[in-house]
Amino acid sequence: MTIQLYTRPLAALLALALAFTACKGKEAEVAAPTPPVAAVAPFRVTAVALGNAIDAGKNVSAPTEVFAAGDTVYAVVASDGSSPSVTLAAKWTYEDGQLVNETVQTIAPTGPAATEFHIEKPDGWPAGKYKVEITANGALAGSKEFEVR
Amino acid sequence: MAGDKPRADFSNVKAGSSSTAPAPAKPAAPAAQTYTVAAGDSLSKIAKKVYGDAKKWQKIFEANKDQIKNPDLIHPGQILKIPAA
Repeated sequence: MTIQLYTRPLAALLALALAFTACKGKEAEVAAPTPPVAAVAPFRVTAVALGNAIDAGKNVSAPTEVFAAGDTVYAVVASDGSSPSVTLAAKWTYEDGQLVNETVQTIAPTGPAATEFHIEKPDGWPAGKYKVEITANGALAGSKEFEVR
Repeated sequence: MAGDKPRADFSNVKAGSSSTAPAPAKPAAPAAQTYTVAAGDSLSKIAKKVYGDAKKWQKIFEANKDQIKNPDLIHPGQILKIPAA
């Protein structure tokens, strides 16, 4: 009986020591941190702007949502991110949805970009309300309403 | 209906687009295929081999007019250009 009383705490100590050793072993196996990889931002449309003129960087030089009958109407789509291929489309409609024009531009952006769509009508735009809807790969990415007076 | 507003005519609208982003890379053109004429070959036999259709021999003839003057006369060892089907 006396021998048993001494051996039990000894066995418990031995078990603790073994567990500690096992934990130390696991710590040693932890892999070194991998160097960070530069994240590639996915393509996204950040803004749609309207105007009757654009500059060399394809940005609207005079933003407006009211146009004259003889104006060329520009819709500039600002985007960010990269993609091997994105199909941007501009659908222009008049009043109750009558189709004015639909134009498609396919791009392979690698960062911030500006894509312009424009429409003009030699004999002048009918007065009224218009809308341009921008889609990216078929999904609505933005829209703007404007008026011709 | 007499009260209906006539629909606007947008048939003469001019439209365009451009971007600061580059255009997607075009897929590489398939490598030109060639065929080395063997003894007993004719253009129709070659067309049958490469296109599965002997009637397409004229495609091969048109692509090799620089070296074939008579479509009935080709020589073993001649290397012919094989256009895409």
